[in-house]
Amino acid sequence: MILLTCIMIGVIFAASLYLMLGGELKEICMGVFLLGHGANLAILAASRSPIGKLPPVLGLSDASAELVDPLPQALILTAIVIGFAVQAFLLTLLVVTWRRARTLDVRELAVEEH
Amino acid sequence: MLQHLIILTIVIPMAAGLVALLFTGWRSAQRGIGLGALVLNAAATLAIAAGVFCDGGAAILVSQMGNWPAPFGISIVVDGLSAIMLAVCSVVTLGVFIYCIGQLPGNQQGGFFHPLYHLLVMGVQWSFVTGDLFNLFVAFEIMLMASYALLVVGTSTQQMRQAYKYVILNLFASMMFVTCCGLIYGHTGTLNMADLTRMSHAGLLPSASTPAFVMLLFAFGLKTAIFPVWFWLPDTYPTVHAGIGALFSGLLTKVGAYVLVRTFVMILGNPDGPIASAVQPLILASAGVTMFLGVLGAVSMHSIRRILSIHIISQVGYMILGVGLGVGVGIATESRELAVAGAIFFIIHNMVVKSALFLCGGLMQRHAGSDDLEQIGGLLSRAPLLGLLFFIAAMSLAGLPPLSGFFGKFLLIRETLATGHWTLATLALATSLLTLLSMLKIWSYGFWSPPRGLHVEEPQKRPRTALGMAGAALLVCVALSMGLGASVYFRGCLGAARTLVTPDAYVQAVLGPARSVPPLPAVAVADARPHDLQSDKSGER
Repeated sequence: MILLTCIMIGVIFAASLYLMLGGELKEICMGVFLLGHGANLAILAASRSPIGKLPPVLGLSDASAELVDPLPQALILTAIVIGFAVQAFLLTLLVVTWRRARTLDVRELAVEEH
Repeated sequence: MLQHLIILTIVIPMAAGLVALLFTGWRSAQRGIGLGALVLNAAATLAIAAGVFCDGGAAILVSQMGNWPAPFGISIVVDGLSAIMLAVCSVVTLGVFIYCIGQLPGNQQGGFFHPLYHLLVMGVQWSFVTGDLFNLFVAFEIMLMASYALLVVGTSTQQMRQAYKYVILNLFASMMFVTCCGLIYGHTGTLNMADLTRMSHAGLLPSASTPAFVMLLFAFGLKTAIFPVWFWLPDTYPTVHAGIGALFSGLLTKVGAYVLVRTFVMILGNPDGPIASAVQPLILASAGVTMFLGVLGAVSMHSIRRILSIHIISQVGYMILGVGLGVGVGIATESRELAVAGAIFFIIHNMVVKSALFLCGGLMQRHAGSDDLEQIGGLLSRAPLLGLLFFIAAMSLAGLPPLSGFFGKFLLIRETLATGHWTLATLALATSLLTLLSMLKIWSYGFWSPPRGLHVEEPQKRPRTALGMAGAALLVCVALSMGLGASVYFRGCLGAARTLVTPDAYVQAVLGPARSVPPLPAVAVADARPHDLQSDKSGER
């Protein structure tokens, strides 16, 4: 289970890096979004495999049973929220860059005006 | 009692930012609120610093959020290093704010500049007080989000074209940081800095976690703009207005330097561990290249803001040099402490002096109409007080005694020579010479040469620079006090360095006296269960 998660995280990171090396700002932003999702999954993998463990709910189990580690899930929630704000900002930046510079191609944006 | 003041360093800027948001459009109210909040903030941080240093820097203030005990809850800790950084940061933000009120053009000061300013300050101060790695990530994100927005608010099209680079590179580093946090938690079961310090010094960190910790060097190094992840800085810092540039240069890279000191000198600073020996050559090599190539880049430029921005990189190289020596593989404890004290002194000196230089550069541009050194000249007759302020700040950066830069560089270079790193010491001295060269270049082209520029073509239009000069003068006075009263600041820095290099007191203050750091050399315990949390008994890994 964890092996599958790790392979999936690797594929997501690879896809996001490929996008971030693209030539248009849209692709680069998509790459950043995917990177955030991959990072969240990496934290999830840190909570180890949930197979055979009980949810961390009060009264559901006695002291001897093993519970899923809830802390990484709390960390992921925070990271998702921050990622959400980042995505909102990046999309706004995209729109305003388009309105000002009339291009989203990275090579054209890099040309200095003066 | 004093530990309850720590939360004020987060709450005051947060409240100021939110209240300023309510008064969008009413500029005088925003200015008044901002000024009051920053003065209150400075008073709080100076009170905390006085409390920490009243008995020689030994006091460590700890406050547990929600009263959850460490390491399960989030701790906010102020030790010597945090207290120094908080105090200097609050003074720098106050000075830059006074400048910005006076100098920022109207459309940039419109609704959202003030809330963003205060929220940036909140993020910076939060990252100085937090005692938990994930909390540090949150504080970083707040600080960076405010900086992204400040980078683009009211800017020209040219600046907009470059803004995305800074945003995307910093986001990449943040995602790497959060991945490392997750991996570190998976390996060690904790993200509390004191707990990680305890484990690191006892040799309890699993060897499989070494790559995750070393990856932190990349994530924090990108924020600090060290070689080879420095390329975002020369493209983005010169494009912003001088006031915002002063804020960025004085705070953002220095937060990165602070985090490097905290992580690699305190948390991972066990000289017998695998991480320290892996990381020290990287940090020292990076320091040498950063210092020297950074200043070569600056010397070749002829725009004031560009020179000052690229100088940030070479000055950061000095701080990283101190961090590298502080990691301490094969270095005596006393040398480590002096090197780290030198690095801390250099960080605070640089915070003040760099911001002052940016503010002076902005005022020069205001008088002469242009940033380009080849088109302006003779400002000394027009603005002699500005010339004096710039000269003091520039000579302090270059490292002339009795100004503050000299003492920082003296400590660092002396320790570099004492530990036998001849190449690094030579690079540091050469960098110092070239820094002097480029500062004199700005001085002679801008102030000393025959008059040219807007103040010559339209001499009757004197720009109103009173508030700008007040802000710059405040910072230069603080820089002067660092130079002339260097022994006072140094004693504080040395006390802070002692807490970092031997973190026994820090760990005991946060975790309680039962869990203390065993004395060095570390005892390597094979296959130790690092934490009392539920252990993973299943075979799934």
